[in-house]
Amino acid sequence: MPDITFVKPSLPRSGALVLLLAEGAALSGLAKAAEEATGGAVSRGLEAAKFKGAKGQSCTLWAPGGGLTKIVAIGLGKADALDARGAENAGGTALVAVQQERDVVIAADGLTPALAASAAMGARLRSYRFDRYRTTEKEEDKPKLERIAVASAEATKAKAAFAPMQAIADGVFLTRDLVSEPPNVLTPAEMAERCKALEKLGVVVEIMGPREMKRLGFGALLGVAQGSAQEPRMVTMKWMGAPKGKKQKPLAFIGKGVTFDTGGISIKPAGGMEDMKWDMAGAGTVIGLMAALAGRKAKADVIGMVGLVENMPSATAQRPGDVVKSYSGQTVEVINTDAEGRLVLADVMWYCQEKYDPRFMVDLATLTGAIIIALGHERAGLFSNDDTLATQVKEAGGAVGEKAWRMPLGDAYDKQIKSDIADMKNVGGRPGGSITAAQFIQRFVNGKPWAHLDIAGTAWSSKDAPTVPKGATAYGVRMLDRMVADHYEG
Amino acid sequence: MLMTKLTLQGTAQARKHHKARGADSALILPLMAGATPDDPALAAAAKAARFTGKAGEALAVPGAHGFTILAGIGAGRAISDWEAGGGAGLAAAAGRAHAVLLTDNATPEQAAGFAAGALLNAWRFNALRDTSKDKDAPPAEVTLAVSNPAKVEPAWQRAEAMLRGVLYARDLVAEPGNRLNPASFAARLLGLRDVGLKVEVLEGKRLTALGKGALSAVGGGAEHGPRLVVLRWPGKLKAAPVAFVGKGVCFDTGGISIKPAAGMEEMRGDMAGAAAAAGAMLTLALRQSPAPAVAVLALAENAIGAASYRPGDILRTHIGKTVEVLDTDAEGRLILADALAYTARRFHPRAMIDLATLTGSIITALGHHRAGVFGNDEALTAALMAAGEAVTEALWPMPIDDEHREVLKSDIADLRQCAPAGSGAWGGRFLSDACHAAAFLREFAEGTSWAHLDIAGVEAREEAAALGPKGPSGFGVRLLDRLVAMRFERDA
Repeated sequence: MPDITFVKPSLPRSGALVLLLAEGAALSGLAKAAEEATGGAVSRGLEAAKFKGAKGQSCTLWAPGGGLTKIVAIGLGKADALDARGAENAGGTALVAVQQERDVVIAADGLTPALAASAAMGARLRSYRFDRYRTTEKEEDKPKLERIAVASAEATKAKAAFAPMQAIADGVFLTRDLVSEPPNVLTPAEMAERCKALEKLGVVVEIMGPREMKRLGFGALLGVAQGSAQEPRMVTMKWMGAPKGKKQKPLAFIGKGVTFDTGGISIKPAGGMEDMKWDMAGAGTVIGLMAALAGRKAKADVIGMVGLVENMPSATAQRPGDVVKSYSGQTVEVINTDAEGRLVLADVMWYCQEKYDPRFMVDLATLTGAIIIALGHERAGLFSNDDTLATQVKEAGGAVGEKAWRMPLGDAYDKQIKSDIADMKNVGGRPGGSITAAQFIQRFVNGKPWAHLDIAGTAWSSKDAPTVPKGATAYGVRMLDRMVADHYEG
Repeated sequence: MLMTKLTLQGTAQARKHHKARGADSALILPLMAGATPDDPALAAAAKAARFTGKAGEALAVPGAHGFTILAGIGAGRAISDWEAGGGAGLAAAAGRAHAVLLTDNATPEQAAGFAAGALLNAWRFNALRDTSKDKDAPPAEVTLAVSNPAKVEPAWQRAEAMLRGVLYARDLVAEPGNRLNPASFAARLLGLRDVGLKVEVLEGKRLTALGKGALSAVGGGAEHGPRLVVLRWPGKLKAAPVAFVGKGVCFDTGGISIKPAAGMEEMRGDMAGAAAAAGAMLTLALRQSPAPAVAVLALAENAIGAASYRPGDILRTHIGKTVEVLDTDAEGRLILADALAYTARRFHPRAMIDLATLTGSIITALGHHRAGVFGNDEALTAALMAAGEAVTEALWPMPIDDEHREVLKSDIADLRQCAPAGSGAWGGRFLSDACHAAAFLREFAEGTSWAHLDIAGVEAREEAAALGPKGPSGFGVRLLDRLVAMRFERDA
């Protein structure tokens, strides 16, 4: 991963230079200096490439002179419409263009220090790679980038603005690592161990195993776990960052962590089953979020909880038809063992409310294929019993490019999960499949404001985006970090 | 069709009538939640049966006063509560020849709503079966008993206009594919001239000449070729019309991309969008709406034959855009493409709303309790949502995102009609087809203020409810009627 530093604008004499250019703007600052140092090669090249500075446009000038290997121009669109997201995207696009260079200067001297930091954040987010298991990658295929210097007239200010972003990026990377890890490595126990890394950030980490769960009566979660040789875990992460005198009830974030989901006895079709290693993305996101909040020393009290299990078919696996008793006391008829995430969340959420009496709960889960059929991959489904909370989540997501779409709840849907012999059944049929899943979870919300993000379509991406390389997206980390920052640190 | 006849009568006369018919007649009383009937026997029964008066709850009390039914109307504030009460009340009167709806303490609108609910409940499609031995048929005669019939009459007429539109649509949806084909559907629509609608039927060479390559291709495999039917209501306002566009696939085999056999019979209802649009036009005409309105119905049968269109075909639509066919079972969006573009260009409507039983994906998304609304105009979407809430035809907004348009890029045509099967997530199984379809249709709205209602899942009831039996619901008629009343009856 390249180092990122902030420097006063000065034209490099070697390596690569990135120019961030607004639409229709004349060359100025470092861009103008580069133009002069290269004898006009910059303007000649941009003209030849029909580069106008439109948003997302990019153009590479090879060996332009002045000792530089290349100059990459990235379009920002109209200067007055440039926002943090736009600067991030430009930084991310720039990163890809210069990955094979060792040293790069990003000329952000035309931007405010905050936007310069955002451009650096975009580059940082895009630089993520998960290459732990590559042993034979050819040298020429590996990225060479070692140092990114972001040039800003107010480098100190930009650096200060970047510090919390760096912490958030670390959280994002932690989530991406967890989600990318293969399921034979990342078992529930291993995932719980990795949460301990948060202790050095000041997070209190508590791990609960099956014996304690059994004693408490986590029948729903344990039913899912009972088919696997891997023991389940529940991890509680506490970040108590609210200043003394401003203490309120904590915020709670809860994640589904099914480290591999075969579907259990209701086994999934083989095609695409490998994707089920990321059925723990909700939990992975909560862990990364806690790292981000602690890393930037968020002034809020936050509880993160994850329920970690593996869903396997075996001689001891739970069967369709089983009735389990959840920690809340409500009984559940398990119709489909592949609707297991909601069973895990049921116990963790009820426990969270009993133990911590949170101000609100937001849960994240790769819960249903139905949400992909409903919305696709650009937006997660957002369900909530509280319009204010839903709006906060949705708007925070919009600001960081993690979009959500509100979906309905209602009694008519809740009826679909009525059981003949238990308090409820765990599936409500195909119609409105992600809604009935949310209704199920809502049965374990005990009068608290609550929002549920169904991230099945957004946790993993099959194509690159400017700040998110394909693979694990860590969708939700930035959104919820932003929500906390915008509304709960005052 | 409506088997039940409704008469407005004064209370005293109606009560007398009820008494005279003995056990053959049911007396239906609306009751608010928490209220107690004046009559002590009824009050005791209500208490014993734990009757709460929730809207849509009904309790039959056979006894000294003949056969009485308490019909819950909840808080009684919304007309929809009165409708639910009337519907549930009438359902409890099944098997009796006559029912009296006693609404002497109600406002005219509440009384009319109570009666409308009852008659929506009483609808049956009995054209094709012997009903002589039915023991639980709804009452054939209903009396709406009010203190002043003349005062209630105008409200009832408005309600009846709505009712006739809804039932017209239900009848069409119920008709099987061997009886309702594009030709006979168009012939039935000609009957709407009786209420003052202008009806044009474009078919054969006239249709081909208009260059509707998509509609012609989809309907080309069937014995009865496709039709484009235009219904026009002039209204009184000097304004561009509001336009409804309906998918009217009289039967959908899926074509060459044939559907599985199980459940295929339900595809006789794949014209519910067109039926709803026609029903709404009937309602507007019957209540003499001042708003100019037009409905364009694309009628076709998606059949398998030697002349069927194929996956891989490229079609040239009405506006010249070419479309690559991937799946002949995604035919609705093709015929709508032509109908939308034709409507936009010919009528320059104030707003254009299409209705279609378009995708299975919307059922997975929203189930059977809400239809999906997509569009390019937030104000229109919001107005549709509000209209739907008011008439208990609930909608939910759905997105059209860049990714949904992205998948429609074709290698050899301007657009492809859908994402390839198996190209979705998790082994190919999961595609957001409802959003893809909406993104496709948007290309043909050409900037007109437009909304698309994907009504697959709500066009037929899964089970009997207060406002109708299991089967065709007529979803959309009331919604469009209310939308027009709320938004398009003032000058633009």
